[in-house]
Amino acid sequence: MGQTTLGSQGQRHSVAELEDLAFELRSKLLYLCGTYEGAVHIGGDLSVADILIALYHYGLNIDPSNIANPARDRFILSKGHAAVCMYIAMAMRGFFEFDEIVETYGQLDSAFGMHPCKVQLPGVEASTGSLGHGLPIAVGMAKSARQRNEPHRVFCLLGDGETGEGSVWEAAMAGRSSELGNLVAIVDRNRQLMTSFGEDRIVLEPYPDKWAAFGWNVVMVEGHDMADLVKALDNLPAPDSNRPTVLICETIKGKGVDFMERNLAWHAGSLGQADLERAMASLEASRAGKEKN
Amino acid sequence: MPVTFTFGEWFSARTVIGQTLADLGEEYPNLWAVTPDIGMTLVEFREKFPDRFLDVGLAEQVAVGVAAGLAYEGNIPVVSGMLPFLSMRALEQIRTDVCYPNLPVKIIGTHGGLVGNGGSTHYAVEDLSLMCSLTNMTVTSIGDPLMVGEILRQSMKMQGPIYIRLAVGKSDMVLYEPGQHDIQIGKGIVAREGTDVTIFTHGTTVAQTFEAADALEAKSHSVRVVDMFTLKPIDADLVERCAKETGGRFVVVEDHLAYGGLASRIADVVVDRGINLTGFERLGIPQVFAGFGDDEELRNKYGYGLSATIEAAERVIAAKK
Ligand SMILES: Cc1ncc(C[n+]2csc(CCOP(=O)(O)OP(=O)(O)O)c2C)c(N)n1
Repeated sequence: MGQTTLGSQGQRHSVAELEDLAFELRSKLLYLCGTYEGAVHIGGDLSVADILIALYHYGLNIDPSNIANPARDRFILSKGHAAVCMYIAMAMRGFFEFDEIVETYGQLDSAFGMHPCKVQLPGVEASTGSLGHGLPIAVGMAKSARQRNEPHRVFCLLGDGETGEGSVWEAAMAGRSSELGNLVAIVDRNRQLMTSFGEDRIVLEPYPDKWAAFGWNVVMVEGHDMADLVKALDNLPAPDSNRPTVLICETIKGKGVDFMERNLAWHAGSLGQADLERAMASLEASRAGKEKN
Repeated sequence: MPVTFTFGEWFSARTVIGQTLADLGEEYPNLWAVTPDIGMTLVEFREKFPDRFLDVGLAEQVAVGVAAGLAYEGNIPVVSGMLPFLSMRALEQIRTDVCYPNLPVKIIGTHGGLVGNGGSTHYAVEDLSLMCSLTNMTVTSIGDPLMVGEILRQSMKMQGPIYIRLAVGKSDMVLYEPGQHDIQIGKGIVAREGTDVTIFTHGTTVAQTFEAADALEAKSHSVRVVDMFTLKPIDADLVERCAKETGGRFVVVEDHLAYGGLASRIADVVVDRGINLTGFERLGIPQVFAGFGDDEELRNKYGYGLSATIEAAERVIAAKK
């Protein structure tokens, strides 16, 4: 893993360092939500913040100074509405400057918009935002790696609601049929969709069994527990094994901000100054609470 | 300075759909609302008629297929969602499951045109072209919130399917007073009378066209504005009449690809009926993936904003017979 980010000891980031990075990412997300006048998908951003830190700052074999390296791991944000969270995680990894995001987000000719565009923002692996597209693309990338004997992995992050789309399960079958052990799906299992709580309108459970029935290697992960995320990434089956893996990450939509957590109103929104301060205070408090435990 | 607003509030202007459907649900006990997780506009209906509300989750193809099944059984389903996904992901279901058996399924949604910052995954810019190509489909695009209710109401009596395109946003521009115009599916609205040029438009660009007309009137031009909210069937007689009454001078402005939408429908009428025009300009989205920005910026960038409309009208007015 030559190009993975290095932590303070000159080694790969420790769990504690990754936790700090996740806090920083959340703070930056809130800041953007309080400076941009339009809606930000803050709920689904906060629920994948730890996952994206674990990927961009630990698990993915990537190099911001060599984004076209054929040996890099591929990452597709299939839940494209969490784009800002990915942009910020990438900025923190050195792909570009955070200020660039803040100054141009959503504006004319900006590379940074509500959903990621590969053409406008090099370093993004696929243009997404219409849900249900990422996993089929990931299967294609993983299949290509296999055919060329390349040892990298292909990761794909999906929303749990997104997995209501039939194309996800068609891709799950294709990935299994092609025996793509180099393919890793990560599901943000926050049990919320845009307008409802999971299971209220659409029943996904028994969720792990569904993936298992499609022949995938299923790993359950605490999606806000950095140690657990790191463990899952460390223990992925070898890329040349023959079953794709899904990490089902139990998460909370709006994680870290009390008035956003599990609140349908905060699928997306914007923060005025007073509420931004309230959100930051809540984030600080939830970190303090964590440190006590 | 940003103000706090949440998701529900962002869409509040669209409650006219929910309100109208809640009213119509009384009158039509076979009216259903079906949505792929875009039910924030349907709250009133859902609360009143929970047994006729169905949210299928993230599954546009299923939403349309299920609506077809409901319609086969004598129900009137309204599928409400986001148009880029309904018009493209579920296109085959719309064509084969709904249009082919000519079922009374209504498809209504937001995100028609360059609605700002979503990016090309979230802009329905080909939808009217796709929908107009479908046999049995009636196609509308609406800019006025009260009109949405009226069109939904009229659509209850229709045999076959209808597509109703809306924009999205925190504030809707009210264009017409209630009762100001006789609104009928299939008939264009002459929203402003004039004799020098006709500007045809629909949906999100109607309000902007009124502004353009004001500016042109101030320069002593007499501008007719036609809100051609029904693209299919197109009001060909009105097109012909406008050619006669405004010197064969046409401008078409739309928040859709410039080729394949209203301009193309009007051009077809012109050619098919052998109408002689003095000038014709079409303003709309060029064939590009448009990028980010707010809707007004994007309209200006791609040449169908306010000033582009005024300039096009002036060029057409100046055209020699
Ligand atoms: C095909 C498609 N349909 C609808 C949408 C609109 N949409 C954006 S996010 C969302 C809810 C997604 O739920 P989930 O995948 O669970 O993501 P999360 O709750 O984590 O934000 C919906 C319906 C979309 N982007 N793409």
